[in-house]
Amino acid sequence: MGKERGKGASLMEKKDGDAGRKLSRRDFLRVGGGGLAGAALLGAAGCGGSGGSGSGGGPVNITVAFGRETSGTLAQLIKEFNKKNGGKIKVTWRHMPSDTGQYFNQIQTEFQAQKTNIDLIGGDVIWPAQLAANGWILDLSDRFTESEQKKFLPGPIQSMTWQGKIWGVPWFTDAGMLYYRKDLLAKSGYKNPPKTWDELKSMAEKITKEQGIQNGFVFQGDKYEGGVCDAMEYIWTNGGNVLKNYNTNTVVIGQPPAIQGLATERSMVTSGVAPQAVATYQEPQCEPIFLGGKAVFCRNWPYMYSLAKQYKMDPKNVGLAPIPVSGNNETASCLGGWNFYISNLSDKSKQDAAYKFIQFMVSPENEKRFTLKGGYLPTLRSLYEDKELLSKVPTLQNSTAISHTHPRPVSPYYSDMSLKMQEQFNDSLKGTVSPKQAARTLQGQLTQIIKQGKNA
Amino acid sequence: MTTAAKPQRRGVGWLKEEFGNPERRTAYIMVLPVFVIVLAVAFYPVADAIWLSLHGGTPTITGSFVGVQNYVNMFENPDFQSGLVNTIIFTVASVTIELVVGMAIALAINRSFRGRGLVRAAVLIPWAFPTVISATMWRLMFQDQVGVISYVAHALGLVSHPILSDQTLLMIACVIVDAWKTTPFMALLLLAGLQTIPGDVYEAARVDGANAIQRFIRITLPLLKPTMLVALLFRILDAYRVFDLFWVLGGQQLESLSTFVYQSVRVSQLQFPEGNAAAVFIFISALLIALFFIKVLGMQTSTEE
Repeated sequence: MGKERGKGASLMEKKDGDAGRKLSRRDFLRVGGGGLAGAALLGAAGCGGSGGSGSGGGPVNITVAFGRETSGTLAQLIKEFNKKNGGKIKVTWRHMPSDTGQYFNQIQTEFQAQKTNIDLIGGDVIWPAQLAANGWILDLSDRFTESEQKKFLPGPIQSMTWQGKIWGVPWFTDAGMLYYRKDLLAKSGYKNPPKTWDELKSMAEKITKEQGIQNGFVFQGDKYEGGVCDAMEYIWTNGGNVLKNYNTNTVVIGQPPAIQGLATERSMVTSGVAPQAVATYQEPQCEPIFLGGKAVFCRNWPYMYSLAKQYKMDPKNVGLAPIPVSGNNETASCLGGWNFYISNLSDKSKQDAAYKFIQFMVSPENEKRFTLKGGYLPTLRSLYEDKELLSKVPTLQNSTAISHTHPRPVSPYYSDMSLKMQEQFNDSLKGTVSPKQAARTLQGQLTQIIKQGKNA
Repeated sequence: MTTAAKPQRRGVGWLKEEFGNPERRTAYIMVLPVFVIVLAVAFYPVADAIWLSLHGGTPTITGSFVGVQNYVNMFENPDFQSGLVNTIIFTVASVTIELVVGMAIALAINRSFRGRGLVRAAVLIPWAFPTVISATMWRLMFQDQVGVISYVAHALGLVSHPILSDQTLLMIACVIVDAWKTTPFMALLLLAGLQTIPGDVYEAARVDGANAIQRFIRITLPLLKPTMLVALLFRILDAYRVFDLFWVLGGQQLESLSTFVYQSVRVSQLQFPEGNAAAVFIFISALLIALFFIKVLGMQTSTEE
């Protein structure tokens, strides 16, 4: 144990100076994970594949990892890019699980094994700090300069920034939005969607009573990542946060505004506006309720808009608005979306080629095509003034929501933080602990995680 | 295999006797690859996991030796505590139900009646589903707005909370689904045992005037004990390692020992050493349960004696 087997790993030894110990853990993961025979095969394949980079005049082969893309636009763009760079760069798409958690686990396992078979990652917005802290992704500060960054929406850029450096290029974005039924609101005499949470509650109460609708408001309250996103929106729109300035080591979740946020979320259930079972809802449970005509309001991501027809709901009756606020606070949407990260384990020539591919993908014309055909929200500011896009992609018109996105805590220990937040936010929503208690518990737990992380 | 695994203490003469004989030598050589593979895939990872569980660190870097500190942290972790308690409650409740109901089913289908073959096959259907599939199916039925069970339970006034967000109700649901799924398996094992009991024993008892209950307690139970112990051990170890049922049906809201290990070693960045310790803990405690069955309850491990 501890002896080396391939190029990729010896490259890494120089980087972290802790190779001996690292290898033993890696060997353990291999043996424990896949059984010896399988692991040995994998190991051999990994070594074989890691060599040969652009030497000998052939094209630079780079592998981009990405999950599912149903519209076929990504495959088309890769084809075009390869054609344009004929003979110099060849991009191959490696299909990854569409579930973010599974995808991340796979990437993590491969990086832990120091495999160099992925050069470019199309990955979730919450990953950069975790990947960067382990030395797995490239610092893009000299390539992706500040003047370049200014072309993009501020939220995604903020989520890519950690320890003063930028680790990824935003590709497409996602923002939490308030869906409402235009027809139901009009019938009860409301012209505009609610601006505050209190307005939402009173409107929902009136409409459900007057028109016999089963639910006032549904959102994602389950114990999972989406539950964190929803709770964060309540916290932000009450003026609170989890970490000070999103990425510092100061935990502020225990302070009154954050507690107020969790209390607002809980009040949706106690007032009867949201069903009690909202604490078990994820996106798939919200869709049939709202689009099936059983709710007045729904918080969800932009994707749901395109499903209206599938549920026989007239898209004309579906309205989109920014997330409501408490008092005079600013609206805030949880930032989602996917970005490009370059592997730190790849050779320099591959990294350069990968960056070229990124530039191709985030060029205005290609982002526009991706939005038109795939329905993904672009990350370039300029596209939000594009008349064609605005008329063809209705979710884009909700630009207040999109320009007010906030990242979840940017931390190398986000996974641990998320586990704790999922638990406490869910308990607070269910009422098994008070919002105050949940926030206080989190204040301690998150502080502990940061402390532990510094020592690790 | 057994001869290679258990060398007897007999000195050099024994070695000569064992390896001098060409036939035995061939046997050893043929067994050797299997022995090496078992050593590599079974013994080595376990030993390594135990060794690692005594170290700190993250998934990427093995830290320094910390003794049993990881185990102390693990036992102090509230998630582990609830996982342990939930696992024990689940195991005891589901295996008890499965034993009782499985026995009843086994006794019923042991009698001869028309269509017995069909009934025996039909009983096994729930067991044939992969757990994730049946867990997903049941989760839908427990759901609040579309679930049939939820609807009926609310209509009858049995529950006031949504089933899927209440820890107690979730646990009951998991026990019910596990019993539904694995009782047939238990029944099948017990049925096999019942069929090894010769009919003339019952005949003799009947002649002596023993009633059905006496026959069951004095004949069926004692003669069925070896089968029951095997079936119980199978089910207890299975239930003890429960993962998918809790994960899918419980929507990750219900912690078990195995889900704790998964969260720690796969999701968390910091809890890795504790997760490692928990994995070792599951292994050792499962081993102890098996040993208890074999040594204390006198379960037969081979048919030789």
